[in-house]
Amino acid sequence: MKKYFIPLIFSTFFFQFLQAQGCSDAGICSIGTLQENPDKAAKNQIEVSTILGAGESDTQYFSPSVTYTRNFNERWDAAAKITSSFASGSFGQRGSIGDAYLLVNYKPANGKIFKWSYTAGAKIPFNRANLKINNHPLPLDYQSSLGTFDFLTAANLSYKKFDLNAALQIPVFNINANSYFAEYSGTADFPTTNLFERKPDMLFRTIYTITTKKITFKPNLLFIYHLGEDTYENIYGRRLSIAGSQGLTVNGNLISTYNLKAASIELSLATPFVVRDIRPDGLTRKYTVGISYKTRF
Amino acid sequence: MKYILFSLAVSFLMISCESEGELTKTEVGSTPVLSESVLQYSGVFTPTSGIDVTGKAGIYLDGEQYKVSLEGFSISRGPDLKVYLSTSPNPNEFINLGALGNGMSQTYVIPKGVDFNTYKYVLINCQQYNHLFAIA
Repeated sequence: MKKYFIPLIFSTFFFQFLQAQGCSDAGICSIGTLQENPDKAAKNQIEVSTILGAGESDTQYFSPSVTYTRNFNERWDAAAKITSSFASGSFGQRGSIGDAYLLVNYKPANGKIFKWSYTAGAKIPFNRANLKINNHPLPLDYQSSLGTFDFLTAANLSYKKFDLNAALQIPVFNINANSYFAEYSGTADFPTTNLFERKPDMLFRTIYTITTKKITFKPNLLFIYHLGEDTYENIYGRRLSIAGSQGLTVNGNLISTYNLKAASIELSLATPFVVRDIRPDGLTRKYTVGISYKTRF
Repeated sequence: MKYILFSLAVSFLMISCESEGELTKTEVGSTPVLSESVLQYSGVFTPTSGIDVTGKAGIYLDGEQYKVSLEGFSISRGPDLKVYLSTSPNPNEFINLGALGNGMSQTYVIPKGVDFNTYKYVLINCQQYNHLFAIA
Protein backbone atom coordinates (compact mmCIF):
# COMPACT_ATOMS: atom_id res chain seq x y z
CA MET A 1 0.00 0.00 0.00
CA LYS A 2 2.81 2.37 0.83
CA LYS A 3 4.06 1.89 -2.67
CA TYR A 4 1.12 3.90 -3.94
CA PHE A 5 0.20 5.77 -0.88
CA ILE A 6 2.64 8.65 -0.92
CA PRO A 7 2.59 9.46 -4.63
CA LEU A 8 -1.17 9.58 -4.70
CA ILE A 9 -1.21 11.68 -1.61
CA PHE A 10 1.11 14.27 -2.99
CA SER A 11 -0.40 14.44 -6.40
CA THR A 12 -3.79 14.99 -4.90
CA PHE A 13 -2.46 17.27 -2.27
CA PHE A 14 -0.77 19.57 -4.70
CA PHE A 15 -4.10 20.40 -6.25
CA GLN A 16 -4.87 22.25 -3.13
CA PHE A 17 -2.09 24.64 -4.00
CA LEU A 18 -3.12 24.84 -7.58
CA GLN A 19 -6.40 26.25 -6.55
CA ALA A 20 -4.56 29.20 -5.13
CA GLN A 21 -4.84 30.68 -8.57
CA GLY A 22 -8.48 29.85 -8.80
CA CYS A 23 -9.39 30.48 -5.19
CA SER A 24 -6.61 32.40 -3.61
CA ASP A 25 -8.42 32.78 -0.35
CA ALA A 26 -10.92 30.36 1.06
CA GLY A 27 -11.41 28.48 -2.17
CA ILE A 28 -8.05 26.87 -1.95
CA CYS A 29 -9.14 25.18 1.20
CA SER A 30 -12.00 23.34 -0.28
CA ILE A 31 -10.43 21.48 -3.14
CA GLY A 32 -8.67 18.17 -2.96
CA THR A 33 -7.69 16.09 -0.02
CA LEU A 34 -4.87 14.15 1.36
CA GLN A 35 -6.49 10.94 0.40
CA GLU A 36 -4.94 7.65 1.23
CA ASN A 37 -5.16 4.99 -1.40
CA PRO A 38 -6.15 1.74 0.26
CA ASP A 39 -6.22 -0.15 -3.02
CA LYS A 40 -2.77 -1.54 -3.77
CA ALA A 41 -3.57 -2.30 -7.37
CA ALA A 42 -5.09 1.06 -8.13
CA LYS A 43 -3.09 2.95 -10.68
CA ASN A 44 -5.75 5.48 -11.55
CA GLN A 45 -7.91 7.89 -9.68
CA ILE A 46 -10.77 10.08 -10.86
CA GLU A 47 -12.12 12.84 -8.70
CA VAL A 48 -15.28 14.78 -9.37
CA SER A 49 -15.86 17.73 -7.12
CA THR A 50 -17.77 20.92 -6.76
CA ILE A 51 -17.48 23.96 -4.55
CA LEU A 52 -20.18 26.32 -3.42
CA GLY A 53 -18.99 29.67 -2.18
CA ALA A 54 -19.77 33.30 -1.51
CA GLY A 55 -17.50 35.99 -2.89
CA GLU A 56 -17.24 39.76 -2.92
CA SER A 57 -20.42 41.80 -2.75
CA ASP A 58 -23.35 39.51 -3.59
CA THR A 59 -21.44 37.10 -5.82
CA GLN A 60 -22.03 33.41 -5.36
CA TYR A 61 -20.18 30.55 -6.98
CA PHE A 62 -20.68 27.02 -8.16
CA SER A 63 -17.37 25.54 -9.30
CA PRO A 64 -17.25 21.96 -10.56
CA SER A 65 -14.01 20.24 -11.54
CA VAL A 66 -12.73 16.85 -12.59
CA THR A 67 -9.29 15.36 -11.95
CA TYR A 68 -7.53 12.30 -13.30
CA THR A 69 -4.43 10.99 -11.54
CA ARG A 70 -2.18 8.28 -12.92
CA ASN A 71 0.33 6.52 -10.74
CA PHE A 72 3.25 5.22 -12.84
CA ASN A 73 5.38 3.72 -10.11
CA GLU A 74 6.43 4.36 -6.54
CA ARG A 75 8.38 7.45 -7.58
CA TRP A 76 6.32 9.12 -10.25
CA ASP A 77 2.76 10.07 -10.95
CA ALA A 78 0.95 12.67 -13.01
CA ALA A 79 -2.39 14.36 -12.96
CA ALA A 80 -4.67 16.45 -15.13
CA LYS A 81 -7.46 18.63 -13.87
CA ILE A 82 -10.10 20.75 -15.55
CA THR A 83 -11.98 23.44 -13.67
CA SER A 84 -15.01 25.55 -14.37
CA SER A 85 -16.84 28.29 -12.56
CA PHE A 86 -20.37 29.64 -12.56
CA ALA A 87 -20.82 33.02 -10.87
CA SER A 88 -24.06 34.81 -10.10
CA GLY A 89 -24.79 38.20 -8.62
CA SER A 90 -25.76 41.74 -9.60
CA PHE A 91 -24.19 41.38 -13.03
CA GLY A 92 -26.22 38.26 -13.75
CA GLN A 93 -25.02 34.74 -14.23
CA ARG A 94 -21.93 33.75 -16.15
CA GLY A 95 -20.24 30.41 -16.29
CA SER A 96 -17.67 28.66 -18.40
CA ILE A 97 -14.84 26.19 -18.38
CA GLY A 98 -11.82 27.69 -16.62
CA ASP A 99 -8.34 26.20 -16.59
CA ALA A 100 -6.47 22.95 -17.15
CA TYR A 101 -3.77 21.86 -14.76
CA LEU A 102 -1.05 19.41 -15.74
CA LEU A 103 1.24 18.10 -13.03
CA VAL A 104 4.06 15.70 -12.45
CA ASN A 105 4.97 14.51 -8.97
CA TYR A 106 8.20 12.90 -7.85
CA LYS A 107 8.97 11.20 -4.57
CA PRO A 108 12.61 10.39 -3.95
CA ALA A 109 13.74 7.58 -1.67
CA ASN A 110 12.95 8.79 1.81
CA GLY A 111 13.66 7.97 5.39
CA LYS A 112 10.94 6.53 7.56
CA ILE A 113 10.33 9.69 9.55
CA PHE A 114 10.74 12.57 7.15
CA LYS A 115 9.16 12.02 3.73
CA TRP A 116 9.64 14.52 0.94
CA SER A 117 7.88 14.97 -2.35
CA TYR A 118 8.24 17.46 -5.19
CA THR A 119 5.77 18.61 -7.79
CA ALA A 120 5.95 20.75 -10.91
CA GLY A 121 3.38 21.65 -13.48
CA ALA A 122 1.47 24.20 -15.45
CA LYS A 123 -1.87 25.91 -15.52
CA ILE A 124 -3.37 26.56 -18.94
CA PRO A 125 -6.35 28.91 -19.31
CA PHE A 126 -9.31 28.10 -21.53
CA ASN A 127 -10.28 31.74 -21.97
CA ARG A 128 -8.86 35.26 -21.73
CA ALA A 129 -10.81 36.44 -18.68
CA ASN A 130 -13.08 38.64 -20.77
CA LEU A 131 -16.40 36.81 -20.56
CA LYS A 132 -19.29 39.26 -20.91
CA ILE A 133 -23.02 39.48 -20.33
CA ASN A 134 -25.08 41.37 -22.91
CA ASN A 135 -21.81 42.94 -24.16
CA HIS A 136 -21.07 44.31 -20.68
CA PRO A 137 -17.50 43.59 -19.54
CA LEU A 138 -17.41 41.74 -16.23
CA PRO A 139 -15.04 41.95 -13.26
CA LEU A 140 -12.66 39.08 -12.65
CA ASP A 141 -15.03 37.84 -9.96
CA TYR A 142 -17.26 36.61 -12.79
CA GLN A 143 -14.49 35.13 -14.92
CA SER A 144 -13.81 31.40 -14.91
CA SER A 145 -10.10 31.94 -15.57
CA LEU A 146 -7.59 34.71 -14.99
CA GLY A 147 -6.10 34.21 -18.44
CA THR A 148 -2.57 33.35 -17.38
CA PHE A 149 -0.27 30.45 -18.20
CA ASP A 150 1.34 29.60 -14.88
CA PHE A 151 4.30 27.55 -13.74
CA LEU A 152 3.76 25.73 -10.48
CA THR A 153 6.20 24.06 -8.17
CA ALA A 154 5.86 22.64 -4.68
CA ALA A 155 7.68 20.71 -2.00
CA ASN A 156 5.98 18.64 0.66
CA LEU A 157 7.24 17.19 3.89
CA SER A 158 5.39 14.56 5.88
CA TYR A 159 6.32 14.09 9.48
CA LYS A 160 4.21 11.78 11.60
CA LYS A 161 0.70 13.25 11.52
CA PHE A 162 1.80 16.56 10.09
CA ASP A 163 2.14 17.61 6.48
CA LEU A 164 3.95 20.80 5.58
CA ASN A 165 3.79 22.22 2.11
CA ALA A 166 5.44 25.12 0.35
CA ALA A 167 4.53 26.13 -3.19
CA LEU A 168 5.06 28.83 -5.75
CA GLN A 169 2.72 29.79 -8.57
CA ILE A 170 4.18 32.10 -11.19
CA PRO A 171 2.24 33.61 -14.09
CA VAL A 172 4.62 33.12 -17.01
CA PHE A 173 2.56 34.23 -19.97
CA ASN A 174 -0.38 36.59 -19.72
CA ILE A 175 -3.26 36.55 -22.19
CA ASN A 176 -5.69 38.37 -19.89
CA ALA A 177 -7.92 40.56 -22.05
CA ASN A 178 -10.34 41.62 -19.34
CA SER A 179 -11.98 44.97 -20.15
CA TYR A 180 -13.89 45.79 -16.99
CA PHE A 181 -13.92 49.45 -15.90
CA ALA A 182 -15.49 50.19 -12.54
CA GLU A 183 -16.37 53.72 -13.69
CA TYR A 184 -18.62 52.40 -16.47
CA SER A 185 -20.16 49.51 -14.56
CA GLY A 186 -22.72 51.12 -12.25
CA THR A 187 -21.17 49.71 -9.09
CA ALA A 188 -18.10 50.41 -6.97
CA ASP A 189 -18.00 46.90 -5.53
CA PHE A 190 -15.29 45.67 -7.89
CA PRO A 191 -12.05 47.43 -8.90
CA THR A 192 -11.10 48.12 -12.51
CA THR A 193 -9.23 45.17 -14.01
CA ASN A 194 -8.89 46.24 -17.64
CA LEU A 195 -5.96 44.25 -19.15
CA PHE A 196 -5.14 42.86 -15.71
CA GLU A 197 -1.66 41.55 -14.94
CA ARG A 198 -1.18 39.35 -11.93
CA LYS A 199 1.83 38.79 -9.70
CA PRO A 200 2.99 35.39 -8.34
CA ASP A 201 1.75 33.68 -5.20
CA MET A 202 3.75 31.91 -2.54
CA LEU A 203 1.94 29.37 -0.36
CA PHE A 204 2.56 27.53 2.85
CA ARG A 205 0.25 24.99 4.39
CA THR A 206 0.30 22.88 7.50
CA ILE A 207 -2.05 19.98 8.04
CA TYR A 208 -2.71 17.70 10.98
CA THR A 209 -4.36 14.35 10.33
CA ILE A 210 -6.81 12.65 12.66
CA THR A 211 -7.82 9.18 11.60
CA THR A 212 -10.80 7.16 12.77
CA LYS A 213 -12.03 3.84 11.45
CA LYS A 214 -13.98 5.26 8.53
CA ILE A 215 -13.40 8.98 8.58
CA THR A 216 -10.26 11.04 8.28
CA PHE A 217 -10.19 14.64 9.50
CA LYS A 218 -7.62 17.10 8.27
CA PRO A 219 -7.79 20.49 9.91
CA ASN A 220 -5.29 22.80 8.27
CA LEU A 221 -4.07 26.35 7.95
CA LEU A 222 -3.09 27.88 4.65
CA PHE A 223 -0.94 30.97 4.25
CA ILE A 224 -0.79 32.65 0.85
CA TYR A 225 1.41 35.65 0.14
CA HIS A 226 0.73 37.55 -3.06
CA LEU A 227 4.17 38.73 -4.16
CA GLY A 228 3.48 42.18 -5.50
CA GLU A 229 0.80 44.57 -6.59
CA ASP A 230 -1.26 43.55 -9.59
CA THR A 231 -1.68 46.09 -12.37
CA TYR A 232 -4.30 47.23 -14.86
CA GLU A 233 -4.65 49.74 -17.68
CA ASN A 234 -6.85 52.73 -16.91
CA ILE A 235 -9.18 54.58 -19.32
CA TYR A 236 -6.24 56.73 -20.44
CA GLY A 237 -4.25 53.70 -21.49
CA ARG A 238 -1.78 53.97 -18.62
CA ARG A 239 -0.75 50.97 -16.55
CA LEU A 240 -1.31 51.42 -12.82
CA SER A 241 -0.58 49.31 -9.76
CA ILE A 242 -3.46 48.28 -7.55
CA ALA A 243 -2.50 49.43 -4.07
CA GLY A 244 -3.35 46.84 -1.42
CA SER A 245 -3.41 43.87 -3.79
CA GLN A 246 -0.11 42.57 -2.41
CA GLY A 247 -0.09 40.75 0.88
CA LEU A 248 -1.11 37.85 3.05
CA THR A 249 -4.19 35.66 3.10
CA VAL A 250 -4.72 33.13 5.88
CA ASN A 251 -7.35 30.44 5.54
CA GLY A 252 -8.72 27.87 7.90
CA ASN A 253 -9.97 24.61 6.45
CA LEU A 254 -11.43 21.35 7.67
CA ILE A 255 -11.45 18.37 5.33
CA SER A 256 -13.45 15.32 6.31
CA THR A 257 -13.11 12.17 4.26
CA TYR A 258 -15.35 9.14 4.42
CA ASN A 259 -13.52 6.12 3.05
CA LEU A 260 -15.25 3.47 1.00
CA LYS A 261 -13.82 0.31 -0.51
CA ALA A 262 -12.39 1.80 -3.70
CA ALA A 263 -13.61 5.31 -3.33
CA SER A 264 -14.10 8.14 -0.92
CA ILE A 265 -16.41 11.04 -0.29
CA GLU A 266 -15.01 14.28 1.00
CA LEU A 267 -16.45 17.40 2.55
CA SER A 268 -14.38 20.54 2.85
CA LEU A 269 -15.32 23.66 4.78
CA ALA A 270 -13.19 26.77 4.60
CA THR A 271 -13.08 30.44 5.42
CA PRO A 272 -10.40 33.14 5.41
CA PHE A 273 -9.15 34.72 8.66
CA VAL A 274 -6.92 37.34 7.05
CA VAL A 275 -7.41 38.83 3.58
CA ARG A 276 -5.59 41.37 1.43
CA ASP A 277 -6.87 44.95 1.47
CA ILE A 278 -7.85 44.82 -2.20
CA ARG A 279 -8.61 41.58 -4.02
CA PRO A 280 -9.00 42.46 -7.71
CA ASP A 281 -8.51 38.89 -8.96
CA GLY A 282 -11.93 37.89 -7.67
CA LEU A 283 -10.57 34.84 -5.90
CA THR A 284 -11.67 35.73 -2.42
CA ARG A 285 -14.48 33.80 -0.82
CA LYS A 286 -16.27 34.54 2.42
CA TYR A 287 -16.67 30.81 2.83
CA THR A 288 -16.66 27.70 0.71
CA VAL A 289 -18.28 24.31 0.98
CA GLY A 290 -16.73 21.67 -1.22
CA ILE A 291 -17.79 18.11 -1.84
CA SER A 292 -16.00 15.53 -3.91
CA TYR A 293 -16.16 11.91 -4.90
CA LYS A 294 -13.03 9.93 -5.72
CA THR A 295 -12.83 6.54 -7.25
CA ARG A 296 -9.75 4.36 -7.74
CA PHE A 297 -9.23 1.57 -10.21
CA MET B 1 -19.78 3.50 -13.53
CA LYS B 2 -16.61 5.53 -13.09
CA TYR B 3 -16.44 6.21 -16.82
CA ILE B 4 -20.03 7.40 -16.85
CA LEU B 5 -19.29 9.63 -13.89
CA PHE B 6 -16.20 10.98 -15.54
CA SER B 7 -18.05 11.63 -18.82
CA LEU B 8 -20.86 13.41 -17.03
CA ALA B 9 -18.41 15.58 -15.16
CA VAL B 10 -16.51 16.52 -18.30
CA SER B 11 -19.77 17.30 -20.11
CA PHE B 12 -20.83 19.53 -17.29
CA LEU B 13 -17.53 21.38 -17.34
CA MET B 14 -18.06 22.20 -21.00
CA ILE B 15 -21.35 23.96 -20.38
CA SER B 16 -21.27 27.72 -20.74
CA CYS B 17 -24.07 29.94 -19.54
CA GLU B 18 -24.95 33.63 -19.57
CA SER B 19 -27.94 35.53 -18.25
CA GLU B 20 -28.50 39.19 -17.53
CA GLY B 21 -28.59 40.76 -14.10
CA GLU B 22 -29.45 44.10 -12.60
CA LEU B 23 -26.23 45.71 -13.84
CA THR B 24 -26.31 44.22 -17.34
CA LYS B 25 -29.96 44.60 -18.33
CA THR B 26 -29.45 47.80 -20.31
CA GLU B 27 -27.83 47.72 -23.71
CA VAL B 28 -24.24 48.93 -23.84
CA GLY B 29 -24.17 52.49 -25.21
CA SER B 30 -27.81 53.17 -24.37
CA THR B 31 -27.11 56.36 -22.37
CA PRO B 32 -29.83 58.81 -23.45
CA VAL B 33 -29.07 62.10 -25.20
CA LEU B 34 -31.62 64.73 -24.28
CA SER B 35 -33.32 66.64 -27.08
CA GLU B 36 -31.94 69.93 -25.79
CA SER B 37 -28.37 68.63 -26.12
CA VAL B 38 -26.20 70.72 -28.42
CA LEU B 39 -24.03 69.19 -31.11
CA GLN B 40 -20.47 70.52 -30.70
CA TYR B 41 -18.41 68.44 -33.14
CA SER B 42 -19.12 65.69 -35.66
CA GLY B 43 -17.39 63.44 -38.16
CA VAL B 44 -18.07 60.51 -40.45
CA PHE B 45 -16.52 57.13 -39.78
CA THR B 46 -13.99 55.77 -42.25
CA PRO B 47 -12.87 52.15 -42.07
CA THR B 48 -9.40 50.68 -41.90
CA SER B 49 -8.34 47.95 -44.32
CA GLY B 50 -10.76 45.04 -44.49
CA ILE B 51 -13.40 46.67 -42.28
CA ASP B 52 -16.89 47.83 -43.20
CA VAL B 53 -18.30 50.78 -41.29
CA THR B 54 -21.14 53.27 -41.75
CA GLY B 55 -22.38 56.18 -39.67
CA LYS B 56 -21.06 59.26 -37.97
CA ALA B 57 -19.92 60.36 -34.53
CA GLY B 58 -21.17 63.49 -32.79
CA ILE B 59 -19.96 65.16 -29.60
CA TYR B 60 -22.93 66.62 -27.70
CA LEU B 61 -23.05 68.91 -24.70
CA ASP B 62 -25.87 67.59 -22.52
CA GLY B 63 -26.19 70.09 -19.66
CA GLU B 64 -22.65 70.09 -18.31
CA GLN B 65 -21.92 66.59 -19.54
CA TYR B 66 -20.25 65.84 -22.87
CA LYS B 67 -21.33 62.69 -24.67
CA VAL B 68 -20.30 61.04 -27.88
CA SER B 69 -23.09 59.64 -30.00
CA LEU B 70 -22.73 57.13 -32.82
CA GLU B 71 -25.54 57.61 -35.32
CA GLY B 72 -26.61 55.38 -38.21
CA PHE B 73 -23.76 53.22 -37.06
CA SER B 74 -22.77 49.74 -38.09
CA ILE B 75 -19.40 48.03 -38.23
CA SER B 76 -17.78 44.67 -38.95
CA ARG B 77 -17.81 42.32 -36.02
CA GLY B 78 -14.78 42.19 -33.76
CA PRO B 79 -13.93 40.28 -30.59
CA ASP B 80 -13.58 43.19 -28.18
CA LEU B 81 -14.42 46.53 -29.77
CA LYS B 82 -14.04 49.72 -27.74
CA VAL B 83 -14.88 53.36 -28.28
CA TYR B 84 -11.89 55.68 -27.91
CA LEU B 85 -11.41 59.42 -27.97
CA SER B 86 -7.95 59.88 -29.40
CA THR B 87 -5.40 62.60 -30.04
CA SER B 88 -4.52 61.05 -33.41
CA PRO B 89 -6.05 58.65 -35.93
CA ASN B 90 -4.14 55.86 -34.19
CA PRO B 91 -4.81 54.42 -30.71
CA ASN B 92 -1.66 55.74 -29.08
CA GLU B 93 -2.91 58.41 -26.71
CA PHE B 94 -6.58 57.91 -25.98
CA ILE B 95 -9.46 57.81 -23.54
CA ASN B 96 -11.25 54.47 -23.44
CA LEU B 97 -15.00 55.13 -23.23
CA GLY B 98 -15.83 51.46 -22.80
CA ALA B 99 -17.20 48.54 -24.76
CA LEU B 100 -18.99 49.09 -28.06
CA GLY B 101 -22.64 48.06 -28.09
CA ASN B 102 -24.79 46.60 -30.85
CA GLY B 103 -27.26 49.28 -31.89
CA MET B 104 -27.20 51.71 -34.79
CA SER B 105 -27.52 54.55 -32.29
CA GLN B 106 -25.20 54.47 -29.30
CA THR B 107 -24.08 57.08 -26.79
CA TYR B 108 -21.19 57.16 -24.34
CA VAL B 109 -20.46 59.57 -21.53
CA ILE B 110 -17.17 61.45 -21.81
CA PRO B 111 -15.16 62.05 -18.62
CA LYS B 112 -14.96 65.64 -17.37
CA GLY B 113 -12.12 67.89 -18.45
CA VAL B 114 -11.46 66.52 -21.93
CA ASP B 115 -9.96 69.04 -24.35
CA PHE B 116 -11.57 68.37 -27.72
CA ASN B 117 -8.89 70.39 -29.47
CA THR B 118 -6.51 67.63 -28.33
CA TYR B 119 -8.80 64.62 -28.45
CA LYS B 120 -10.11 65.21 -31.96
CA TYR B 121 -10.82 61.67 -33.10
CA VAL B 122 -13.31 58.97 -32.26
CA LEU B 123 -11.87 55.52 -32.85
CA ILE B 124 -13.35 52.05 -32.82
CA ASN B 125 -10.55 49.77 -31.71
CA CYS B 126 -10.28 46.10 -30.87
CA GLN B 127 -8.55 46.19 -27.51
CA GLN B 128 -7.87 42.48 -27.35
CA TYR B 129 -5.74 42.48 -30.50
CA ASN B 130 -5.04 46.22 -30.63
CA HIS B 131 -6.50 46.40 -34.12
CA LEU B 132 -8.01 49.67 -35.30
CA PHE B 133 -11.39 49.27 -37.01
CA ALA B 134 -12.67 52.79 -37.78
CA ILE B 135 -11.89 56.50 -37.41
CA ALA B 136 -14.13 59.56 -37.22
